[in-house]
Amino acid sequence: MFIEIIDVIISGLINGSVYALMAVGLTLIYGVSKAFNFAYGSLYSLGGYIAFLLFSLAWINNYLLVFCLAAPILLVIGFFLEKLLVAPLRKRDDWEIKVMMITLGLALFLDNSFQVVFGARMKSLPTMLEGSFELGEFILSYQDVAIFIFSIGGILLFRWFLNNTRTGMSVRAVAQNPEGAQIVGIPKEFVFAATFAISTVMVGMGGILLAQKYFITPTGGWDILVKAWVITAFGGMGSIKGSLYAAFIVGMLEAFVGWHFGMTWTLIALFAVLLTTLAVRPQGLMGKWG
Amino acid sequence: MIKIQSLNAFYNDFHVLKDISLEVKKGQVVVILGPNGHGKSTFLKSICGLVDKITGKIFYDQEDITGLKSEKLVNKGITYIAENRELFPEMTVLENLKLGAYSKSARPHEKKNLEKVFSLFPRLAARKSQLASTMSGGEARMLAIARGLMSNAKFLAIDEPSLGLQPNLRNEVARIIKEINSQGITLLVVEQNTPRIMELADKFYVLEEGRISFEGSKEDALGNDHLKEIFLGI
Repeated sequence: MFIEIIDVIISGLINGSVYALMAVGLTLIYGVSKAFNFAYGSLYSLGGYIAFLLFSLAWINNYLLVFCLAAPILLVIGFFLEKLLVAPLRKRDDWEIKVMMITLGLALFLDNSFQVVFGARMKSLPTMLEGSFELGEFILSYQDVAIFIFSIGGILLFRWFLNNTRTGMSVRAVAQNPEGAQIVGIPKEFVFAATFAISTVMVGMGGILLAQKYFITPTGGWDILVKAWVITAFGGMGSIKGSLYAAFIVGMLEAFVGWHFGMTWTLIALFAVLLTTLAVRPQGLMGKWG
Repeated sequence: MIKIQSLNAFYNDFHVLKDISLEVKKGQVVVILGPNGHGKSTFLKSICGLVDKITGKIFYDQEDITGLKSEKLVNKGITYIAENRELFPEMTVLENLKLGAYSKSARPHEKKNLEKVFSLFPRLAARKSQLASTMSGGEARMLAIARGLMSNAKFLAIDEPSLGLQPNLRNEVARIIKEINSQGITLLVVEQNTPRIMELADKFYVLEEGRISFEGSKEDALGNDHLKEIFLGI
């Protein structure tokens, strides 16, 4: 019993860490540009498929190489998606709704493209690290540890970027005060595209990390989209700290509900917790009004 | 330095500024007076590339800068300092100042300007690592001015720098404006009822209902009883 609970906690921590990586990206876009990205889940699948393609190349045989190649690819894709699809809408009235529609359209387009190109059958990625080790009575797989380390590493790298680089500072500036950012001469359009690009990398990396455990399918991103939004709303729209806490809470909740009541109950439990939280605190855990 | 020819500005379909022509010479302090809501802030923002819909011509050292966005203008040395401050609340004083030096032309001078700003505002130096949101109204105003100076501007458009400040701080603002101007920075200031700042002005304009209703030197303005009574406070 005790060992089982520890196992559940570990599984919650690991999934929570990947959720955190992905939800922080989604929160970032919302916080900076107030845009809802409904293609976020499909970009998760995109990450998985890019890794799948990379692994099919003969000279690529390890994850480090895949990360190093996939990150810039995702960055460029994200940047141009924003420039081509989202940026032109921003000049119009009620662009928020239009951005939702166009990203929804993008999601359907991507999912169907995946199906055409890769087929409907599941694809899998090789395991990052084989084997496991014993820690007293618990058995931890190297793969899980690696996923955890990469997710947390990604979040720390992101944090470093926000606090210590000029582009990162300008991202925070636009999120905190778009008018003020314009006054000091920050090019807002570039910052919007940059945030979209960075969040694409974050969710794509999440896709690669989780694909080794859960497979890649053309429509697999929807589940992630729902979870990422639940986490974002739960943590407080636009609050990165809130998303971090919420991601781990959701990871744990999922693990415990799945273990005790069965996996079919996890989404129900998730929404129950979300709705209860929002009923008491409509701004989410760490969100602010306005 | 700045020459404006029949400038019109719009917010959506609302015609805010109507045919404004004005000139600010290098090294001058020009003060714009006028009732609230008659377009003074819009005028400053129009010059600094912060209003989307404008017509007319704006020249900066003979160069046509009409329609350029603020990011370009800040880089050229034209900076706006907002009446409502527009700081970054969740960042420290130092981070706010560093972002003031965001533009390419300001970056190489960041260190020098930081020293300059700290000597001008010792209070900010003492509160370097405090969050901007925790500062008092007066300190936040100083920070907004300091952030503007970090851009290494040659031309500053300052929007009501002493609005809402108590009299001793108003005098402090006037001292700082004088100091900034003596360093060779040209100033266009929207202000009212602050005698110390009025004394610094080389020229006055009055903006009413989106039009210039008066234009003249300090002597002209003092000779105008209506103006003297309502706006100057001298």
